[in-house]
Amino acid sequence: MSVVASVIFGSLALGASVVPPIVVLVLCIVAGVGTVMLLPGRKERSIRKIGGALLLVVFLVFVALLVRQEAMKGATQVYFWLFSGIAVMSAMRVISHEKPVYSALYFVLTVVATAGLFVLLWAEFVAAALILIYAGAILVTYVFVIMLAQQVERVGKVTVGAEYDRHSREPVLASAVGFVMMGLILFLIFDGSAATNLAGVKANVGVQGTTKQVGEYVFIRQTVSLEVAALVLTVAMIGAVIIARRQVPETRAVDPGRVAVQDDDPHNVPVYGTENPRAKAYPER
Amino acid sequence: MVMGVMEIGLAHYLVLGAVLLVCGLVTILTKRNAIGILIGVELVLNAANINLVAFNRYSHGVSEGGGVALAGQVFAIFVIVLAAAEAAVALSIFLNFYNNFTSVDVEKAKELRG
Repeated sequence: MSVVASVIFGSLALGASVVPPIVVLVLCIVAGVGTVMLLPGRKERSIRKIGGALLLVVFLVFVALLVRQEAMKGATQVYFWLFSGIAVMSAMRVISHEKPVYSALYFVLTVVATAGLFVLLWAEFVAAALILIYAGAILVTYVFVIMLAQQVERVGKVTVGAEYDRHSREPVLASAVGFVMMGLILFLIFDGSAATNLAGVKANVGVQGTTKQVGEYVFIRQTVSLEVAALVLTVAMIGAVIIARRQVPETRAVDPGRVAVQDDDPHNVPVYGTENPRAKAYPER
Repeated sequence: MVMGVMEIGLAHYLVLGAVLLVCGLVTILTKRNAIGILIGVELVLNAANINLVAFNRYSHGVSEGGGVALAGQVFAIFVIVLAAAEAAVALSIFLNFYNNFTSVDVEKAKELRG
């Protein structure tokens, strides 16, 4: 993936007008093979290391080229390459990392790099909201659920992740689908005969997404959408609470002739992570 | 169609959005952990956000009321809102799923019933 990105970005940087579609096709196939090598699966680790090293070397060469090219240019363009490189590399790690916690953390790295790009695009409020919501709220929820619902297995003395984390599902087919789609999109972007000429589009300097402007726009123009968003959030919150609530089954019928003794020994209370997950519901009363 | 030599244009952001979209798509297709699949969905939404904000920056003119055209950024904010709502509901479903199956492997989700 970074191969494709680097070559395309590189040819953009060198002033190439149109990337030939056949080159894009070949690069997508090569990057797909590299991703297959990198994915966790029933392969030797050396193959994965080779795949990772291949992508890393290409990325380093690309960064070196860029630094040489950008040395005398404006600073904001360097920031674009920096942020987009971080975003693409960490998105690759989201795909290839075995442990879901690290996948979530790399995803947040992608989001932070995206926020940097939004600042470059004069969307300050969106950037701040992105960091607050993703890195602050969604990441915590993800890590919380991953910690609650994590399985480890022991192979000998080594503790490894769950089987479904260590083995990918349909690596070849998934990479093929992904990179065919990428080739299609890139072909449309670089197609010179497309209806819209992307090269002629200039930045609209009037657009500045400061909090004041975004607030005025939302509360004056998009009031109905704002109300609907609030409704959606409320419904989602109630739904999440209802779905995640454990249904405590009605346990043994109470013998009427016997006074029920409340077992308040703390060692008898079922706990998360013990061997019987069905019995871990706390007593309701 | 001659690009400015070092000018960062709309096409750069579109290419980045396409790359991140495919990263998210491959994540959805290859992960067997349900939470990993949800992370892939969030990556796809993030790529869409990049496209929206970039189009907002590079779109021409002002909106019809005479104010600043900010529809793309506001759309991105609503996408973030929906992503947060979706993450909350989906993660609670996964918690429930783990309570029943002791696993978040989506291959085991064949036994779900309405």
